[in-house]
Amino acid sequence: MSRLGIFVDRRTLANAEQLTALIRCRDTAEEMGHAVDFIFPVDIQKIRKTDALFIRARTDPMNVTYVAAKMAQFNGIPVIDDPMSIQVCGDKVNMYSRLLRKGIALPKTAFLSKNDLTVEHVATLFDRMGSPLVLKEPSTSFSLRVERVQSVAEFFRVARRFIRLSDWIIVQQFVESRYDWRIGVLDGQFLYACKYTIPTVTFKIQASVNGHIVYCGVDSIPRAEVPPHVVRLGIKAANAIGHGLYGVDIKNNNGDACVIEVNDNPSLESGEDQCYPDVYRKIINHLFTK
Amino acid sequence: MNENLLKETPKKAGRARLPAPAAGDTGRLPAGTTDIPDNLPAPSSAHPRKRNGVKVPDRNAPLLSRDGLYIIRRNGEYHVVAESYFYKTEPYYAILSLEYEGKPVRPSSSAVLDAYVIPICLEQAKAAGIPVCEWGISQAYVPLPAVLYGLNYFASNAEYEIVTDNESAKETIRHITNNGKYPFCFQKFPENSEICSCTAVFGTAVGACSRVASYAEALYKIFSIPLMRMVFVRTGDSYALSSLSPVRYSELTEEERGLLSANLAPQESP
Repeated sequence: MSRLGIFVDRRTLANAEQLTALIRCRDTAEEMGHAVDFIFPVDIQKIRKTDALFIRARTDPMNVTYVAAKMAQFNGIPVIDDPMSIQVCGDKVNMYSRLLRKGIALPKTAFLSKNDLTVEHVATLFDRMGSPLVLKEPSTSFSLRVERVQSVAEFFRVARRFIRLSDWIIVQQFVESRYDWRIGVLDGQFLYACKYTIPTVTFKIQASVNGHIVYCGVDSIPRAEVPPHVVRLGIKAANAIGHGLYGVDIKNNNGDACVIEVNDNPSLESGEDQCYPDVYRKIINHLFTK
Repeated sequence: MNENLLKETPKKAGRARLPAPAAGDTGRLPAGTTDIPDNLPAPSSAHPRKRNGVKVPDRNAPLLSRDGLYIIRRNGEYHVVAESYFYKTEPYYAILSLEYEGKPVRPSSSAVLDAYVIPICLEQAKAAGIPVCEWGISQAYVPLPAVLYGLNYFASNAEYEIVTDNESAKETIRHITNNGKYPFCFQKFPENSEICSCTAVFGTAVGACSRVASYAEALYKIFSIPLMRMVFVRTGDSYALSSLSPVRYSELTEEERGLLSANLAPQESP
């Protein structure tokens, strides 16, 4: 009997939807004949006793999930997400660089160093990319530290805030859309697809509006209903990062699809996989046959 | 062959660049998509002199200025020298830029992450035969006495706290975990121990005993970080590595400064 470790933290378990998804994952693994241990940060040394590790906590190269991924790697244990995926996807400068290198379609993208934050430079960016622009702090997740700016003054106000957290920030052309496609990819294979419908009060999938958090709608979509070029782009973008599990966000305006980001550790707790009942089975199978 | 080449990026002297995609790739993209950061205006430089397209500092310019970032090329490899290599800083992105240009670079971006995330640093050092502190991760409880490090996005490996009693432990943990939000790393701190540190410049610990000097060499082989502070827990005659952390140029001794400057100085015209 093989032993699957599911690495979680308190925040993962604090959310009822995530807890339900974790239990579903555990039940699937047990149905497949594996033993399952939930591993908390304090139990990190237990990782070496597992045969495969599935990280289900917010990943970042600076937090304990990266330690968990590295511990698995040191011990030759297959892991999702692997350290390289966490490093690349955790920093959007790194992620977009990789996507650009592989010729993946993106909105117009520039990296701005704190040393280049001048009025002339910012004006040039507006000239080149149009208005509004989207500014991103490289470690953003769940649309945190993603802001849309319309003027040079607004640009400076947001950029100065982000530059306190990173010496480089990302400037992107704004691409309007009512929804994002999310293409789930595992080891280069299509895994699932869903639509994240953006709330009308914001341009992000999640935002704080008048003190209230508004979330996007999630609709799982059968593969046959997803435009084939969107699926192809999703797989190509995931392959540019690595061989793990990724959720690729794509905007598809007038048939011109472009990648907004590639996420490691994609959410699976909000119904993303409703049309794909075998998602956990495939992930677990992948971990144990690696 | 020593093909040293010096490129200085003094403070406010611009940024490293990530590579543009091949022209063919750009051509294939749908209308209205990818453009590339390299089209940004050229960075200004306090030392605009160029040699083979690479900026080199004025010979009279002071070396080791605060926050100075230096890129030297030796035996076909690029070495990025900086005071610190924190994630998402200019030195980190300078390394990343060179990696995306396909150039061999030391340290690598993954090596600096590994060196600065304490449990990973210790595991790598241990695997190389260097004695390290026993470590664990906790959210609240810690066996005393202990050395504590934050383990989160906002923590710095340069900051540690020694706690010896429950009261101080509670307060310190509250601080480094942001009120229990994040876990932290603890290390056992045996009775009669003390913290000592030593600077390594390109793997050489100037004036250190042979044992610590050998650790510096071994750590340089693992991480290739040109400038780092090795923090040890010393108990009697034994040393156990506690962390690696950044070093300010201003904190270097004359000898260390000389050694670093010698490594940075152009020894051969590129």
